[in-house]
Amino acid sequence: MIVCTNCKHDNMDGAMFCAECGAQLLGQDLTTQNISTEEFRSSLPRVDQDSYQPFDGRDAWGSLHLLDTGQVLPLSARNEFTLGRVSEGQPIMPDIDLSPYQAYAGGVSRLHAVIKQSGGRILLMDLGSANGTYINGKRLQANVEQALNHGDIVALGKLKIQILVKN
Amino acid sequence: MGLNKPDHYQILGILRDASQEDIKRAYFEAAQRLHPDKNVAAGETEIFLDIQQAYEVLSNPRRKTMYDATLPPEIETHGVVKHEFILSRPNLVKLAEPQLVYGLLEIGSREGPDKIPAPPLNICLVLDRSTSMQGEKMDMVKAAATQLIRSLRPQDVFSVVAFSDKAEVIIPAAINWEMKKQEARIQFMQTSGATEIFQGLDAGLQEVCRSLNPSRVNHIILLTDGHTYGDEQACLQLADSAARQNIGITGLGVGNEWNDIFLDALASRTGGSSVYISKPKDIQRILVDKFNALASTFADDVILEYKVQKHVRINYAFRLQPEGGTVQLENPMHLGPISREVPLHFLIEFVVDPSALEQDHVTLLDGALKISVAALPTPVPPIRLRIVCDVDAKPSSEPPPTRILSALSKLTLYRMQERARTAADEGQYSSAARHLQNLATHLLSQGQNSLAKTALMEADNIERMHAFSASGNKDIKYSTRALLLSAPKEKAR
Repeated sequence: MIVCTNCKHDNMDGAMFCAECGAQLLGQDLTTQNISTEEFRSSLPRVDQDSYQPFDGRDAWGSLHLLDTGQVLPLSARNEFTLGRVSEGQPIMPDIDLSPYQAYAGGVSRLHAVIKQSGGRILLMDLGSANGTYINGKRLQANVEQALNHGDIVALGKLKIQILVKN
Repeated sequence: MGLNKPDHYQILGILRDASQEDIKRAYFEAAQRLHPDKNVAAGETEIFLDIQQAYEVLSNPRRKTMYDATLPPEIETHGVVKHEFILSRPNLVKLAEPQLVYGLLEIGSREGPDKIPAPPLNICLVLDRSTSMQGEKMDMVKAAATQLIRSLRPQDVFSVVAFSDKAEVIIPAAINWEMKKQEARIQFMQTSGATEIFQGLDAGLQEVCRSLNPSRVNHIILLTDGHTYGDEQACLQLADSAARQNIGITGLGVGNEWNDIFLDALASRTGGSSVYISKPKDIQRILVDKFNALASTFADDVILEYKVQKHVRINYAFRLQPEGGTVQLENPMHLGPISREVPLHFLIEFVVDPSALEQDHVTLLDGALKISVAALPTPVPPIRLRIVCDVDAKPSSEPPPTRILSALSKLTLYRMQERARTAADEGQYSSAARHLQNLATHLLSQGQNSLAKTALMEADNIERMHAFSASGNKDIKYSTRALLLSAPKEKAR
């Protein structure tokens, strides 16, 4: 029996994708490893200070300010980004991989939330994540869009991100 | 078959090294399918007599030896077709519970598309002309049929049947056609009456049978926009009879009112598939595409005949390409066509019972593939498919083959849609909605935003109204099926 770590469904041995939620079952034992936050900090990629100005691209409609590590990720080139964490053997990749920013330790799901720009507003939707998505401390209902304002603090699990909106 | 009459082995669909037991089995199976007491379809009695004659010779060891001596050397199996079968894991694990193993069969033409002559066609277009087809739908159908007539090659046989509650042959099957007259007959088609698919299918089958020839691609294209009532079972029997004569069926459904489950069942019995046409303006394009696909057929159908294994069950089977579609879990299985450009990819899910694991290897599949290549005068000898998997105490650490993994990752989306529908049919609405929400999450992450939105809307419909919307379930079904064929979208980063 293989228990899906995403939805706890019991799958038959030899199954490769969860029959209930469609998550890939192989390589799931990776999620039970314990890795200390310190290792993550030391393995953080060195980022050139000049390369991440808040609104570098002229077309950026907003930015994600990662409060724990200080990086700012501009949102540009498209109107919608999925946020999550890339793990080995995963067929489905988030648009923005937060794993360099302690996403794992912060309890970010592989596909955690989606942020998009629509009709002049910025919307956030939780994608049924394990540890939830919060706006200014208030938990979102899964699969329901919620508007964001400049300066809002979003938490994906414990990973805190400040939303910077270009006016 | 012309001058090259198939030999006794080919008639029974067995290899020359077949044991007496194999010969007997092949004979009984063929006899069961074709016994004159059971079947009255045209041509089947003759096939049955051939089979009986073949069996009489081969079942007698002395006569078999004499017959074998007269045979020319066996045509090499690897002549025109190449195939490969891979398993999701190298060994089964000794467990006290059932376990899954996946197999992927790839089978295609050995030669490039330019080396094989394009086979002539024998196609009947069976058109629904019930009242509901009135207006844009019928106009588009007429335009499409006219275009098809103009695109025919001199060697192609083409016929058109229109049906409502009765059928009418608009263009009888023939090669020597008068184009102008035929176009006029198409233009005169009027809509009236109800949809009775059996009427149309029966007349269409008769037209195709008139020019039935194994060297042609024999096919019925059924286009409908409505439900048929009460004659479903008769239609399915007709499809089985078509399959035995190597006639394929494609079902094209226009709009929201037709029954996709039924049309899928009908087409898949012959190795064909169904196509969803959401808007009438797409009728012409899809019909022409289908025609072109038929014209580039390498083999009409690949048939898998297998021995039922005691402790191994085939749980699911799906054709990934050239056209994605369900495969009926029957024996024999119609896996579908091989295109000249695109090989057939077929995925199969086995459930292995713990009782099978007492031995150190398990036979997952023991059978033969029969392939009818239209462009070749001689039948292709069957390909033996015997898949044996070792049993080990521990699971292998080897990662699964990427081809199976990527095929399954896409098929998973289609199956989630299927599960949602099954759950909704059983009245488990919250489970159906959850499946759709999960599906939406996966679709979103693959950049299929509008489809994800449709899935979420349908989840909402099911939770609130306990039903799919009119178009939603078909949209999701055929779009997730189409995803199987497309290359994965580039990751945007």
